[in-house]
Amino acid sequence: MASIYWVAAGQIREQTDVRLELQSDLLINIAKTSGSLQALRNAIQTRNEEHDERAEPHFYVYALTTNTKLPFTKKLEAEYMSADARRIFGTVMFSDVLDIIDADIVVKRDAYARVIITRLQGGAQLLVAADMSEQNNLLLKLYNSMWLAVALMFLLAVLGGWLMGYGVLRRIDSIRQTAGEIINGDLSQRMVVTRRNDEFDRLSLVLNSMLQRIENLMKATREVTDNLAHDLRNPLNRLRNRLDTSRFQQLDTEHFQQLRQDALQDVDDLIKTFNALLSIAQAESGVHRDDWTAIQLDQLISDLGELYEAVAEEEGIKFSYKAQPGLVLQANKHLIAQVITNLLDNAVKYTPKEGAIQLNAEQQADQIVITVSDTGPGIPAEERDRVFKRFVRLDNARSTPGNGLGLSLVKAVADLHGAQVELADNQPGLKVILRFTI
Amino acid sequence: MNILLIEDDIHTASFIQKGLAESGYIVDHAADGEDGLHLATTGQYDVLIVDRMLPKRDGLSVIQALRTRGITTPALILSALGEVDNRVEGLRAGGDDYLVKPYAFSELLARLQALGRRTQPLQEQTTLRLLDLEMDLMKRQVKRAGTVINLQPREFTLLEYLMRHTGQVVTRTMLLEKVWDYHFDPQTNVIDVHISRLRGKIDRDFDPPLLHTIRGAGYMLYDPTAA
Repeated sequence: MASIYWVAAGQIREQTDVRLELQSDLLINIAKTSGSLQALRNAIQTRNEEHDERAEPHFYVYALTTNTKLPFTKKLEAEYMSADARRIFGTVMFSDVLDIIDADIVVKRDAYARVIITRLQGGAQLLVAADMSEQNNLLLKLYNSMWLAVALMFLLAVLGGWLMGYGVLRRIDSIRQTAGEIINGDLSQRMVVTRRNDEFDRLSLVLNSMLQRIENLMKATREVTDNLAHDLRNPLNRLRNRLDTSRFQQLDTEHFQQLRQDALQDVDDLIKTFNALLSIAQAESGVHRDDWTAIQLDQLISDLGELYEAVAEEEGIKFSYKAQPGLVLQANKHLIAQVITNLLDNAVKYTPKEGAIQLNAEQQADQIVITVSDTGPGIPAEERDRVFKRFVRLDNARSTPGNGLGLSLVKAVADLHGAQVELADNQPGLKVILRFTI
Repeated sequence: MNILLIEDDIHTASFIQKGLAESGYIVDHAADGEDGLHLATTGQYDVLIVDRMLPKRDGLSVIQALRTRGITTPALILSALGEVDNRVEGLRAGGDDYLVKPYAFSELLARLQALGRRTQPLQEQTTLRLLDLEMDLMKRQVKRAGTVINLQPREFTLLEYLMRHTGQVVTRTMLLEKVWDYHFDPQTNVIDVHISRLRGKIDRDFDPPLLHTIRGAGYMLYDPTAA
């Protein structure tokens, strides 16, 4: 702002100086062409008087002096004094100029004047003075409006800053309040999202999705705990009753051994359920992410195939396995082996005699597809989502041994690897399809 | 067989101590890592049972310290952390076997036997023999009473493991771990099926039977005619 003012002021003075020089040169030319100072004096007089007829004040005032004792320069204390300078500029009051000019000229006495003093030959000095009141008014206006602008801007900045700060604080406060309510136990609370789609909204959205995830996890944990309590209470109760009633019975050795065997079986089942739940929990929490390796899938399939071939044969089931050679899957080997084992366990369990089980691995476009299909009863379409839940066992499966966790682990491991699990109709039977994106 | 048990839980420790004493083992007990390390360094033991989480010094660091001192007594790690990477970590630290809580006592017993056997100098055997059952490790050939028996590669490994642990109970979990390298329990009786197939090949047409089922524990290969 200040620089604009200084540039404008400098520019105006420079222009005035150029005009003053022009006027001076014009007059000096007159003196030179006529060869006498008198002609110059006349010209000055005419010019000074010319303006009298008008009511306006003179813009230019001219004067000539030959008095070497009292040069303009001394009286006016003009700037840029130096011994051999031919021309001197200065800014003085008009009254000072008029004091040394013996002429009756209408001017603003109290206005500033820009003067140029030129030394002529023979000690004479020519003075041309210009009225600077217009320019100074202009500069004053510029100066004032500039201050106004600065003041206005400052005011706006303060106001805007306060408004913005107030808005920000209000929104932070709303987030703080919501967080407080969540801390107090209400997990269903969510951050307010406005339609502005600014940083705060984006932050709130992220926080909300985080809260959603936490709530889901909490819900899942509670579900597991409830299910676990429910599922473990039965065998624990059975075990307790078994041991409790035996206290009042006179058991012979054979019965005692049977009791012991049953109790051990109960405990073993409990341990299996625990282990299965632990595996699922670990797959879901992603602790296995670090130990992924490149699995030679054909090797794994043939190992597992060989392991289960004997079992299937024992059950009178036709079993075949096939893997496209050279398939490599980036995954946790133990989990993948366990998933396939779970699926084969299920297949063996539910496939009747003379049935058939197939284990296949192949590449389809950018996916590695592992399929386990059987000719058992299959899973009705409307139940297919439900069976991935923990402890869910379909009605016709209740009589067979199992804990209802096999497919939950399959799902958890698939999710961990970013794979999809599909349950399809094998017509008849079940077809489980695992799709891993390479 | 002398066993050092390093376990901080008093109930578990006394239970194991009692059970092992009944099976004819002599058991010393240390309740924390520092004591355990001291006893293991100064005493003579055939097998160490080391709990993973111990006061003062954790189990893995005890084993590591022993190994750096050149003490190679086989160590069985007991752990409540049943993950595959935890197992790998334990074996890498110098443990020889890894058992996850909760476990059946018979499982512990079987594994101790397997480890105790290991302390005897392992000669580079080329043939394993039990009665008239012979296994040639170089030719990868098995004969019973002079008749060559055809085994599939996995059956060969299974029989080799059983023969190397002749007279010891071998559990299903051990077989799954050592022969198939799977560290989880399948729901179905896969191991039983493979054992019964193997039995069909080595025992059915011969006498006496060598591969026996130990009820509630596992399997054992032994000569029933020997006193």
